[in-house]
Amino acid sequence: MFGPTSILIAIIIIAVVLIGLLIIKPSITVSRGGKVLAFVSLLVFPVLGGSMGVSEHIERSKSTEFCTSCHVMKDYGKSLLIDDASYIPAGHFQNNRVPRDAACYTCHTDYAMYGGFRAKLRGLRHVYAQYIGKIPDKIELYNSYNNRECLHCHQGARSFEEGATHNMEEGRLDLMKANKLSCMSTGCHSATHDVKNLPNLTFWSPDKAKKDAAGAADEVDAGSNR
Amino acid sequence: MTNLINIERRLRIAGTLIVLGLLIELGSLLWSHPLAFILFIVAGGLLMAAGIIVYLYSLVSGDDSVARKNSEVRPLSEA
Repeated sequence: MFGPTSILIAIIIIAVVLIGLLIIKPSITVSRGGKVLAFVSLLVFPVLGGSMGVSEHIERSKSTEFCTSCHVMKDYGKSLLIDDASYIPAGHFQNNRVPRDAACYTCHTDYAMYGGFRAKLRGLRHVYAQYIGKIPDKIELYNSYNNRECLHCHQGARSFEEGATHNMEEGRLDLMKANKLSCMSTGCHSATHDVKNLPNLTFWSPDKAKKDAAGAADEVDAGSNR
Repeated sequence: MTNLINIERRLRIAGTLIVLGLLIELGSLLWSHPLAFILFIVAGGLLMAAGIIVYLYSLVSGDDSVARKNSEVRPLSEA
């Protein structure tokens, strides 16, 4: 019922009211109670509100909406809806293999020590490039995509460990696990965002899919009633 | 305002800075955009930090106007 954001907003409002009282009548700090009020409203609440605010903003920065709010990322967001499961991001997004509300972050953070922190620093760099610096003509990953990020979820999964292609030759799986053979090698899972070809592709719409499914069900019902 | 003793004036300044910082934080929470985080950290954070420093300074500096008043030599007839 009350999420962290609601609690934070409540803390901010309470702090503002208490500080307002202190600004209007600072002489109340002469009494012991007034000193406690000043301490709580001028130190405890702002520190609490500030630290909760940082945590809330960091949590929000993981959202797909946040990542795609910059114009340059719009096409990457759109590529999640490509109507072809062979496109890895689209297949993962549409089939809930990654949480839809944190799709970008789930695949593009580093699953290593301080990986989340490094992802945030990269995010700040992107904001700088968007508003102050120069957006590169070609958007590329800083480093080639590490299999570690795929293996964070897929390692140990039956479909991965026993997959026919993954075990086509001796030692192939080990090479993949050691990041010596990329999951995105040509001929494997090489279809990713492909933003250049977006105009030539068709897109999946969750609402349209629901309508189509409902329409098909109606047709089946009508056929059975005939 | 002029008749306020120093500590009260400093508390008002601290309170105003912190309220401004908190209002910026509130605004940034209602805006889901990468710039909201920058606004929160740069503007809100700095204002709140400045307010807290002014408040802490008011605690450690004491009230020199009261101290000055107490240190004045009073005529014997008043004592």
